[in-house]
Amino acid sequence: MGRFWNSRTVRKFRRNKLAIFALVIIGAYVGVGSFIMVGGLSEKLVMSRVAPNHIPGFYFSPLPEKRFDNAVNYIFRDVERQIGRLNKSNDEVAKLQKRLARAKDDAKPRLEKLIASAERSGRSAMTSLEDGFSMGRYRLAKMSVEEYQEIIDEALDIADELDESQDLNEDPDMISKIEELEGVCNRLYEPLSSQDKFFQNAYTFLGTDRQGRSILLRAVYSIKVALQIGIVTALISVVIGSVLGAAAGFYGGWVDFLVIWLYSTLSSIPNLVLLVLVAYLMGSGGRVDDFAQEYMGMGLSDTLFPVYVAFCATFWIGPCRVIRGETMKIKQLEYIQAATTSGFGNFYILIWHIIPNTAHLMFINFSLLLIGAIKSEVILSFLNLGVKKGASWGIMIRDSGSEVLNNNFWQISAATFFMFVLVLAFNILSDALQDIFDPKHL
Amino acid sequence: MWSYIARRIIYNIPVYLGIILLVMAALRVNDPIYGNLGKHATQEDYDRLKKDAGLDKPFLVQYGIFLKKIALFDFDSDDMMSWDQKGKTVGSLLKDSIPPSLALTIPALFFTSLISIGVGMVSAFNRGRWVDRSLVVAAVLGMSVSFLVYIILGQYFGAYQMSESFGAKIFAIEGFKSFETFKTGEDGGLEFHPNRILSDGQNWLHYCLLPVMISVIVAMGYDTRFYRAAMVEETGKDYIVTARAKGASSSKIMFVHMLRNAMIPIVTRIMITLPFLITGSFLLEMYFGIPGMGRTLIQAINGNDFPVIQAYTAIFAGLFIVTNILTDVLYAIFDPRVRLL
Repeated sequence: MGRFWNSRTVRKFRRNKLAIFALVIIGAYVGVGSFIMVGGLSEKLVMSRVAPNHIPGFYFSPLPEKRFDNAVNYIFRDVERQIGRLNKSNDEVAKLQKRLARAKDDAKPRLEKLIASAERSGRSAMTSLEDGFSMGRYRLAKMSVEEYQEIIDEALDIADELDESQDLNEDPDMISKIEELEGVCNRLYEPLSSQDKFFQNAYTFLGTDRQGRSILLRAVYSIKVALQIGIVTALISVVIGSVLGAAAGFYGGWVDFLVIWLYSTLSSIPNLVLLVLVAYLMGSGGRVDDFAQEYMGMGLSDTLFPVYVAFCATFWIGPCRVIRGETMKIKQLEYIQAATTSGFGNFYILIWHIIPNTAHLMFINFSLLLIGAIKSEVILSFLNLGVKKGASWGIMIRDSGSEVLNNNFWQISAATFFMFVLVLAFNILSDALQDIFDPKHL
Repeated sequence: MWSYIARRIIYNIPVYLGIILLVMAALRVNDPIYGNLGKHATQEDYDRLKKDAGLDKPFLVQYGIFLKKIALFDFDSDDMMSWDQKGKTVGSLLKDSIPPSLALTIPALFFTSLISIGVGMVSAFNRGRWVDRSLVVAAVLGMSVSFLVYIILGQYFGAYQMSESFGAKIFAIEGFKSFETFKTGEDGGLEFHPNRILSDGQNWLHYCLLPVMISVIVAMGYDTRFYRAAMVEETGKDYIVTARAKGASSSKIMFVHMLRNAMIPIVTRIMITLPFLITGSFLLEMYFGIPGMGRTLIQAINGNDFPVIQAYTAIFAGLFIVTNILTDVLYAIFDPRVRLL
């Protein structure tokens, strides 16, 4: 251990304070990633609604108009759910629901209809309601329909007053009214315990997206997805590239020709086109997907497998080229000749004398490919070909395209920031590795 | 020299044949007709489309026919009809989509190279000073942000916010107007309209300058670092010391001695960025609604438009190979030793 710690390369690395810092950051990301991997943050929570949609981060208060909408939507959504839980066979309710689904835009007329119908048909069913609707840490309070109705009536009265005001955003008196409305709406929920309050605050720290999902949780969860994609593809690509490159450089002849032909062919298809083709090939409903479904019991299109294949198909070329060149150089060195004269076989020399001496290039390439994979994921997700389930920075950036037009920068900033820090750390690390191992590299 | 060029071309022929084989085989793994028509198609429709696209022939025959078509640039025949855009052949789609793509890629390549070579030279010449350091840091920071973020924010601030807040409608949020200076006439020949140059220029500025700027900013991080490293490599060489000892001015050393010798990595780099520009412009074309080749291909993939996918992939690969050969040849011009290899 001491020998390793004091070796020339490690000493050089230790002198580079920035690289050490980058390594610490990468360590932190990997730590968080592994924590999520073992179940520290469930995908269900990441995908679930924790608060009203589009609320800003850092506990900034949304615009008054938005607050009003949120408050009304609270009641509306909850009441709708309650009706959904009523006796399903009741034709009247079913009809009502259909009508509701058709009626769009304004929340208030819908709300009034809902309450009217609840009065008519659902009284008994609503009292027997056991588990309330929950949003994040909020749970619907258990109460009788009468109490429920009282709160809703009170809320609607305030809402009516607010509705008459022309412009909520301009009128300062309305703020207190809105706060009153929010207070009334909050009575629909059980009060939060201090622990729940803490979690609820944490979820909304960076705001919520279009579906009311926590941006912070999504951004953090994406660390796992990004590292998973990055590490798997970089590892496979480096292994394939090194083995093929070393074999091509060492044996020469037809092996060399074949490997060069393979990588020239694959690298002649534009990277993005190849990615798109592979993702298309493995998409749902295709033969590959059907085959996997039949013989492995699971479809491929929802997994990350197409992404891995698409990335690995081109990513191995970089390390292969570099290591082939390095192998050709090493092959000429004296110690290889010495090994040959000592009677070691070609394969033995390749495995034990040549490949270990290209390890530094593998490290550098691993780091570079990891960056490439994380950044390509964003582009694939934009094209709807990348990560399908859960969250990823690519999905977040893609979704934020429309938010930006409404001056909402929370999601794009969060995803960009989390990605920026990781990619920057890896960029610094690769530079440091390159300086140490391969100073002449351009 | 000519023998070298001939060798490069001959060498790349099996590579291209391999690509076509690979692409054609890959596209037939999932039934393309089924993908396009969906499950409610009648057997007649299925058979008709199969026959029209020539998919009923044996694979190797299809391979031969397709190769012949590519060799003759014949994209207007019956089996090259687009399945989604009725009445259009791959050839006519190509004719429509190449000019917008070029309007984006060529200026982007030009400005990227020009600016990053300049910045790289400034950085290398001031090596170790604060100018150099801040440029290097800026390059690394710029490299760490996703391309998509540049596009989204660039579009928002450059086009949307500019026209909303300041009323300055300099850049279009999206869209494209085709050029009219060179136009295909009635008889199919190319007509030249000199009076349209000005309006075409204006259109270009309105629709293409912003995407080009975004593309330049994105590529600059990578390129500046590379050019700086290439120049730094040269500054340490003996001939620079000699030139300095002989009293050559620093600008002469920089532009005449250094730049010329750093040309090999620079040219290689420019050629290597070409493919990046093609793929990079995919996203720009999608976001800015520019009907270029990348957007056409992605649309074809989304619509399972098999003949277009097949032909476009083959054309993209062909472009790649041509740039590869060009790189090799330029390399050989700048560094005669390469020709011996």
